[in-house]
Amino acid sequence: MTDILTGVFRTFTSKTDVKKDLTVVPASACSALLLGDSSISRSVLLLSAVTAASELGVRVVFFAQTQIQSLPVSLKKCVPSLSPESLKKIKFSYPRTLEELLQQVASLHESQNTSPTPPSLIIVDRLEGYLGGTHSGDKSSAAHLSALLCDSAAFLTQILKERSPSSAPCRLIASYRSEVDSDYAGGESSATDHILDVLDRYFQMRCTLDRDRSYEAAAAGLQELWHVYLSASSITEDCTTDSETRPAVAKEWQLLISADGSMEFKMA
Amino acid sequence: MRSLLPAVAEQLFRDIQKAYQETSQIPDDLLIALKFVFGPCALQALNLVDQHSVTCLSSSSGRKAFQVIGGSGRLYTCFVSCHYCPCPAFAYTVLRRNEGPLCKHILAVYLCQAMAVTQEESVSDQQMSAVLSGTALP
Repeated sequence: MTDILTGVFRTFTSKTDVKKDLTVVPASACSALLLGDSSISRSVLLLSAVTAASELGVRVVFFAQTQIQSLPVSLKKCVPSLSPESLKKIKFSYPRTLEELLQQVASLHESQNTSPTPPSLIIVDRLEGYLGGTHSGDKSSAAHLSALLCDSAAFLTQILKERSPSSAPCRLIASYRSEVDSDYAGGESSATDHILDVLDRYFQMRCTLDRDRSYEAAAAGLQELWHVYLSASSITEDCTTDSETRPAVAKEWQLLISADGSMEFKMA
Repeated sequence: MRSLLPAVAEQLFRDIQKAYQETSQIPDDLLIALKFVFGPCALQALNLVDQHSVTCLSSSSGRKAFQVIGGSGRLYTCFVSCHYCPCPAFAYTVLRRNEGPLCKHILAVYLCQAMAVTQEESVSDQQMSAVLSGTALP
């Protein structure tokens, strides 16, 4: 059992590291955009939600367009001791349209959502589902949604601090899969995805999940090997004055998914 | 809306705040600086300030948002902690062409804050949600 437990701890340790890194970013709230294939993004989002709820004991709101029927196998393997109590801290919401999502995010400040404690993590699965199929004029919709999410997280941070000055800020993680290039690996191709340009303006960090299809990964007996790059967004308001305090270099992890579905993070 | 602007703009708003507190007007050199930093937006924003177009809405939850009445009479909702405006200029100049960080409505919010001339209005939590999500009737 210990090897599984160490695996779990390692997973949690690296997850907490991610969060600690994010808190270094100097705005009041911490936001990250997860880029990659939607199935792996959803697993990482669920793992973040479960880690926040069970390890940090905080409330989480999880927005997704399609219902999550059951936790992915990989997650069950990672968190064998998952308790129903900690799952209760996660509120799953399934807005179907952009308008419904906007309304639900906009109402997060209302008392039924902030008592007894406000959420400390807002997660949105598959932003492209809400913004997809939109024409070029809908960069404004992407901006509205991102700005509303960031502003809501900033407000909840303020409420959390008022109730307990030592509390951590409310974080925001959303996943997005670029339609321009599904094998998106950062850098150049972002110029062609106008929605991504807009999202980058509001999300401070970018976490890119890039699948390693090399022979070595297959030879190591792994089901899947993903490179996880954490970096400051490329075009966050370019006039920001705090560029020195932003992490200068990208941080890299590896996400290993074994044949039995268990997930493990490693510093690369 | 902290640390979203270049240092020069931040300093400019602080100077305007100080000057306006002392003399109830913005001296010419600061007006010129404003025009230099923000271009044609500056004059339009000052017009909005003169017309008392900026209102800070707050609800009992403590949530705040700005509403700016545009030249056409349309209401634009701007957020407290990040730059967003539903106006066409923001979509075109800021989001599409990446020319500058804001539109005249957001600049008017900054100026009203610096000059302490923002109108205040209380709304219910539900009204605030509707305003933030853009579903409120103008």
